[in-house]
Amino acid sequence: MEFFTYIAENSDLVVSSIIRHFVLFAISMAFAVTVGTGLSIIITREGHEKMGQVILSVTGASQAVPSVAVIALVFLFIGIGMKPAIIALVIYSLVPIVFNATSGILSVDPGVIQAARGMGLTRTQRLWRIKIPLAMPVIMSGIRSAATINIGTVTVAAIIGAGGLGDIIYTGLKLNRPEMILIGAGFAAIIAILVDTVLHYVEQKVTPKGLA
Amino acid sequence: MIEYKNITKRFGEKAAVDNLTLSLEKGTITMLIGPSGCGKTTSLKMVNRLVDPDEGDILINGDSIFDLDPVTLRRDIGYVIQEIGLFPHYSVFDNIATLPRLHKWDEKKIKDRVYEVLDMVTLDETYADKYPRQLSGGERQRVGLARALAADPEVLLMDEPFGAIDPINRLILQQSFLEIQEEIKKTIVFVTHDINEAIQLGDKIAIMNQGSLVQFDTVSEILANPENEFVENLLGQDRNLKALSLKKAKDYAVKEGYITVTDGTEKEEIRKELEDKDLIVAYILDSRDRLKGRYYIDKSARKVEGRYPIVRETKPYRVTRNTSLTETLSRMLEHGEKKLPVVTREDRLTGVIDLDAIFEEVEQAGAPKEA
Repeated sequence: MEFFTYIAENSDLVVSSIIRHFVLFAISMAFAVTVGTGLSIIITREGHEKMGQVILSVTGASQAVPSVAVIALVFLFIGIGMKPAIIALVIYSLVPIVFNATSGILSVDPGVIQAARGMGLTRTQRLWRIKIPLAMPVIMSGIRSAATINIGTVTVAAIIGAGGLGDIIYTGLKLNRPEMILIGAGFAAIIAILVDTVLHYVEQKVTPKGLA
Repeated sequence: MIEYKNITKRFGEKAAVDNLTLSLEKGTITMLIGPSGCGKTTSLKMVNRLVDPDEGDILINGDSIFDLDPVTLRRDIGYVIQEIGLFPHYSVFDNIATLPRLHKWDEKKIKDRVYEVLDMVTLDETYADKYPRQLSGGERQRVGLARALAADPEVLLMDEPFGAIDPINRLILQQSFLEIQEEIKKTIVFVTHDINEAIQLGDKIAIMNQGSLVQFDTVSEILANPENEFVENLLGQDRNLKALSLKKAKDYAVKEGYITVTDGTEKEEIRKELEDKDLIVAYILDSRDRLKGRYYIDKSARKVEGRYPIVRETKPYRVTRNTSLTETLSRMLEHGEKKLPVVTREDRLTGVIDLDAIFEEVEQAGAPKEA
């Protein structure tokens, strides 16, 4: 039961790591969601559908890039610490968010958009009243998968000095103490499950009634 | 009134609409028809500026639509497309209320209007809270029409609205659409690729091919005098039959070739009058001219004492004044009658229609050249 002994003896470290981990996640996700959906809205403007298709291919392919590679690149160009870590996390989380939001908005039935246009809804009204609500389920599933990936990537970001549960895992690796690895990974997993549960609830709330 | 003046629209090198000039009368239905790619939908979409022409002008009631901001223009024009056009995340109520809300009507007025147009398209109040995916294709189309009518526009653009509906429901929708139009008298531009729909619904038909107007006239004129082979082919081999479907029995009913009697007249007396006038049918009318039965001399039966028997029938076959000639013809064939009485809605006898009159009509229309 070294697992519980470690937690009991190092409760301050565990708690602060969890908090740090969550903060890194929350800040980077906030940026990624804002930038990502904003970007997708710009990409999918009416009359620029081709660009949307290009972005879909690019982001689709980018999902295959390992998180370590992104973190390593950010380290090369920006350095170490919490800020570079957040930048790397934002970049990495952007990919699924942009991919889903773009494909969600592009897949809104063109007939519906044309009806809205023909009825005299302005470009902005079409975006906020028609396209975004109809794309919401897809946008949200992008955000959910980005969140899960993000929490996992935060542990990796510890290698460039981000802090968080990744530190405990790496220390455990170096000292060959399996209980530390288990604690780091376990709590990261718990955060991921909790966040996903919350986001699942949010998804149901923001999905318009007539869909589903 | 909508006027297209020398409208040309090119997509690349190809002219989708080529120098179109067309004047659509207020309060009528004009059908735009032609093969796909003929420019009919493009022409329709120019009216609410979903497509802007390269040359020419479009006037609504004398004012150029290009003097208006497209959004303002569109809010004053009803627009119906195939069923996909409903907003799936809006309830039926919210779908219909879309334009009144953009016009910033107060909620009470919006609510009244939504129920009013729902009633107009024969959907009851329980539909208000439903979502499009809970409706059948026909119901969705009715909601689409209700939504287009909500802000009471003078002009209605309909782009193959019944295209995705099965034939039986399409017929029902077309009939109720005509009834609604009788009530609301909108200026309607209606795109279709179905010639039968065009004949059924149109006051006038504009036939287009490769961006140009081939013929624009009333339905009966087009059926009687197709401009060229293209129009003939579009109308099909049975255009004479189609022409008959536009004509009503009342216009061919004559008040001769029969006698009328009151109930209780002696059989022999009737037979004598018929034989004197060399006729075979006597209709029995009540005091208010309502058709109650008929006597006829049955020449297919065996003679009794050198004379054909006279038969009494209490419910003779009949057609109403507005029955089409095709329907009249098919009833004649069905019942083996050469003449049918024509009655009003109240069952008053107005005359009889003779099979020969229908044949004469077919001959006048001219047999198809191929035949």
